[in-house]
Order: sequence, then structure tokens, then C-alpha cells
Amino acid sequence: MGKRILVVSRLTQEKTVRGIALMNRPTDDIKTDQTVWSHWQRFMEQEPERPAIVHWVAGEEPFRWNWGALGKNAAFYAARLKKAGVKRGDVCALVIRHHKNFYPIYMAISMLGALPAVLAYPNPRLHPDKFRQGIEGMARRSGLNWVLTEKELESIIRPVLSGAGSTIRDLFFPLEWVNEEKAVSDVAHPEVRPEEACLLQHSSGTTGLQKAVVLSHRAVLEHVRRYGEAIQITRDDRVVNWLPLYHDMGLIAAFYVPLTLGIPIVYLNPFEWVLAPAILLEAISREKATLAWLPNFAYNLMADRVADEDLEGVRLDSIRMLVNCSEPVRAESQERFFRRFAPLGLKREALMASYAMAETAFAATQTVPGAEAKRLWIDRNEIAKGNIVVVKEGAGASRVCVSSGRPISGCELRIVDAQGKDLPGGRVGEIAIRSVSLFDGYRNNPEQTEAVLKNGWYFSGDYGFVRDGEYYVIGRKKDIIIVAGKNIYPEDIEDAIGQVKDVLPGRVVAFGIEDPASGTEQICVVLETGLPVGADQNALRRRVRECGMAIDLTIARVYLASPRWLIKSSAGKPSRSANKDRALAELQHS
Amino acid sequence: MISDRLKRVILTELQLDEFSLEDSTIADTVPGWDSLSHTRIITAVEAEYGIHFKTVEVIRLKNVGDLQALVDRKLA
Repeated sequence: MGKRILVVSRLTQEKTVRGIALMNRPTDDIKTDQTVWSHWQRFMEQEPERPAIVHWVAGEEPFRWNWGALGKNAAFYAARLKKAGVKRGDVCALVIRHHKNFYPIYMAISMLGALPAVLAYPNPRLHPDKFRQGIEGMARRSGLNWVLTEKELESIIRPVLSGAGSTIRDLFFPLEWVNEEKAVSDVAHPEVRPEEACLLQHSSGTTGLQKAVVLSHRAVLEHVRRYGEAIQITRDDRVVNWLPLYHDMGLIAAFYVPLTLGIPIVYLNPFEWVLAPAILLEAISREKATLAWLPNFAYNLMADRVADEDLEGVRLDSIRMLVNCSEPVRAESQERFFRRFAPLGLKREALMASYAMAETAFAATQTVPGAEAKRLWIDRNEIAKGNIVVVKEGAGASRVCVSSGRPISGCELRIVDAQGKDLPGGRVGEIAIRSVSLFDGYRNNPEQTEAVLKNGWYFSGDYGFVRDGEYYVIGRKKDIIIVAGKNIYPEDIEDAIGQVKDVLPGRVVAFGIEDPASGTEQICVVLETGLPVGADQNALRRRVRECGMAIDLTIARVYLASPRWLIKSSAGKPSRSANKDRALAELQHS
Repeated sequence: MISDRLKRVILTELQLDEFSLEDSTIADTVPGWDSLSHTRIITAVEAEYGIHFKTVEVIRLKNVGDLQALVDRKLA
């Protein structure tokens, strides 16, 4: 009886808070004993006219998919893939640019009980050999079985098929396939158990050695339900997204969560957005979008680079949540964005934050809808000692930290020391996470798995603290550089630069520095060179930057040093943090 | 043919002392010119000439020659 009263009062409270939202809660329809495909299939069969995906192309009328048309097209692609040999459990890599048929192709893979894995389409500056090596590495590590791509990449990818140890059986070019509307009734969704694999996404990692995270249907569906509840999603929501789908924030938050709940998404071309960020605001305004996820740099880019001329008629009143995620959340970026767009109807309480990673499907924490993410000013000197001492707003020698919110349901967090022991409140430590949507380990990678997964807890390598139940992420254990939401390992840069003419082998250190203007990090390198005094140092700097380009990285600063300048750690390797401090203090860069 | 004025704006923005820019040069072959610095370069070009490019015009640019042609059209 007591329990019943409690439930009723909770419902009444929710009714009051969210009006009709209670009757409109799509998360109640998630069945974690089924598959993701079976959820999509229900919309395809029972609500064929319901809007599913708005495929946005700048300067053109968007293409609108409803669930019925998506279903028919997915069935067509599934029939072709099945005939070509794709089976339940196979991993199908997708390397396809922004195209309206990408979505039914993706869903077709799921229909067959196979695992879709979206990979980045190569940027033209990436050397073809590097891209091929990346695919080779991923094929071995992630166990890719098929590659679905565009004709243009055939000559680059095909040689991988005959490479030693390759698991890839064939390449397909599904954008070339023409749907002749023939009956495709022979394709049925196989009996897939909820604990079987649903998808494969890549976490950060060295090119070709990306860590593959496989998520089960149950893990994805648990996350869809629980994260949907955390953001109080309703059928009136509409998601807008420009994030690439090889990124967990694009794939899980802005694709799986809404689509599995039957909520429409407006999907922009990531390449177009970065060239003309105003298109996101235009799409929000025209499609009355309510939700979007953005890495921190996007706030700066839009605040600084969108001209008034591109905002004519644009209104942002419809937005109820813009979730800052996947880079450290910077208060200054949020503020700058708010000041720029408040006149267009942007609400302050829409500025939210989340802490998320591929290993937990997506979100571990989320701030509360309807309230701006909390900020705390903490003493800089104390934080260096691992203590959290809150000071007055804007006090000298303080650092402002933005909350990423509380753990979502089914997720627990701890702050631990170097030995993995719990730290008391007010101390900074590594964040460890346990979740119902936790991955089982990196595919074919027991060493990396063992390093981060212990007794059911995932050790994130991120540093943070908890206060009043809310988590604040403030740094990283490893030297990973995060540029515009992309995790970069300094080792990759150092290995590549070590090959450049006139650079002393092994005498390179790469590190990131905060760039407040862009709201993200910039890559810097310091290297030792044997070039005599008076030699063309600028030519060397240019070779270094060009070397960065070949691995698709922009090196913002190059510091040149004489032999034996770099400080070595006790292990005999150049120490990144010590050399970063010394380079910034002593050396000139270009 | 890329004008010295346009070339100077681009190279200044990229902090390059010298780099050959032809009509057919694409951004991805110029050190430092990536998608993030692209919007910065476009803003600098707009400021230099006192002109404004539309979103779609920016997206459709294929190479530096296209950018020069767009600038010329705006000034005409």
C-alpha cells in the first residue's frame, strides 16, 4: 500500500512538472528483452507515416524519411546483403559520406542481426596509405567481415582484402544498388537474444589500433531507456545533429536514443557544419528542434564564426537542451555562446552538460533538464595538491569548473586514488564507473581491457571530483590531447615526426595546450634537431607540419631545440609534462 | 590567378611566411588549413574586402581559385 501511494505521488509530481509529458513518455515502451531492430520494426509496421529522419543538405530542400519508407528500403538492402553472404553476427564497416540512403543501409545490417560499425570517411589530406593501414589494423583488431563503402575508395581499400590475416571478405557499394521494388519478403529478423552484440563502435586509440567496443542489444536498450529518462525525453522532442556517427555522441545520443524511442532526428552533414556552422542554427529554427549534443569547441565556433547575416529569421526558442559533452566543459564557452544567441530566444537553462564515453554506451552523468549546469570556483593552488576548496565566484587564483551532473540510473561512479581505493569527498581522483550498459571489454584486446576493467568497474583515466552528488571532470590521467572532440595520442604524433629529415630520432615530444579562443586544445611539438645554426629552420618547421597533415592532424606550434635539450624521465624517455613547461617558457615557436 | 592580396590574407591567417597558392590548390594541401581554421580564414577574407559570403557559397568552394572567383564576383 505504502509503495502504491509513493508511486502515485511520484506520478502526480511528474505530471505537474512536465504537464502532459507523463502520457507521452516513450521510454516506457522500451523492452530490454528484445532487440533494437524490433523497436524500429514496430514503428515501420505500425506507424509508417511517422517522421523518422530529416536528411539535411545545406541550400537544398531536406529529404524526409518516414518509418514506412525507411522500413521498405532497409528490407531491400537487407535482401541484397543477405544474398551477398552477410550473416547474423558479422561485423559490417560503413565508410560512407552524408547520403540519404545511409540510414536504411545501416538499419538493414541490424535487420540481419549483423553488427554495423561506422568508420570515418577519409579526409583528403590523410595519406591513402595511412587510411589503408588504419583499415587493415581495424580489420584485424575489430574483426571486420565486410566493408560497405563508396566506389571512390575501392582502389584504396581492395588491397586490404588480400592482406595477411585480413578478416574482410568483400567490399560492397550499396549506394550503387537500385531498389527495383521487387518483393523482399524472404528476409526476416533472426532470433537474436538481447545479450548478443548489437553494434561495434570505436573508442579512442592509435590509428589502426582503435579500441573496439561492442555493445549488446540489452546494453543499448538499457541506455536508451535510462538516458531518455534522465533527459526527460518526450514524443514532442526533435533531435538535431551534425556529429559524425563514428563518434559515440553522434551514434548513441543523437541516433540510437531518439530513433529507438521513435523521436525524429534532423541529420546535418558534419563536413558542411564545420565549414558553415550557421546551418545548425538554421536547422534548429526551421525544424523546431529541441535537443542537441555538442562538444565544447562547437560553442566557441558558433559564437565566434556565425555572422548576423546568416541568422536572419532564425529563432532558438524551441531548444530545451544543448548538452555539452566529450571535451572538458568550459564555462567561458557556454557563456560566450549564451551571450551571442540569447537574443534569438536561447534559454539559459538549456545549457546542460554530460559526462560520457563509448565504454558505457554513452552517458554516465547528466545535468538536470530545466536548469543550467552548475558552476563552482575552486582554489587553483589547492587543486594542484588534489584538494577541492571552493572559493567565491571570480576570486583570484581560482578555476571555474562546470558540473556534468549526477549519475544516470543504472550507473554508479567513484573517485579513486592511484591504488583504486575510494577517496574522501573534497579530493580529486580518477573516475571509475559501473553501469548496466557497461561494455564487456575491447574486442580482441585483452591487455587493454585488463588495464581499464577491474571487478566490473571501468577506470576512465579521467580526473574529477564529486560535490553535492554532482560530478566535475577536470583533467586526464594520460597525456591524450583532445582536439575538437577527437582524442589524439601524443605517441602517434611523436612516431610520425621522428621520421622527418633533420629531426633526431626519438627526440620529439607532443603535447596539447588550451586555446581559449577555439575552446579546445592545440597540438604542439618540441623536437631536437641537429641543424647547424643559420640553417633554414622554417623549412624544417614546415616539414613537421606537413608530416602532421599526412596523418590528418594540424600541428599549431613547432618548437625547435638543440640536441640533449629535452628533459628525460627516470625511464629514459622524454617527459611530456616537464618538456611542455620548459618549451612554453624558453623556446620560440612558429 | 590568385591575387597577392588574397594570398596575403590567407598566409597571414595560417602564420605561413611563404606557400604557393594556385587556382587549383585545395585547402587540405596547405599546412594548417583544416576545417577548424577554414572559418577563421573565411572571416578574415570577408573582413579584408568588406564583403559577406552566404553559407552555401562557402560550402561549395572547391579550391582557392573558387574563393578568388567568389571574391571577384562580390566586388564586381
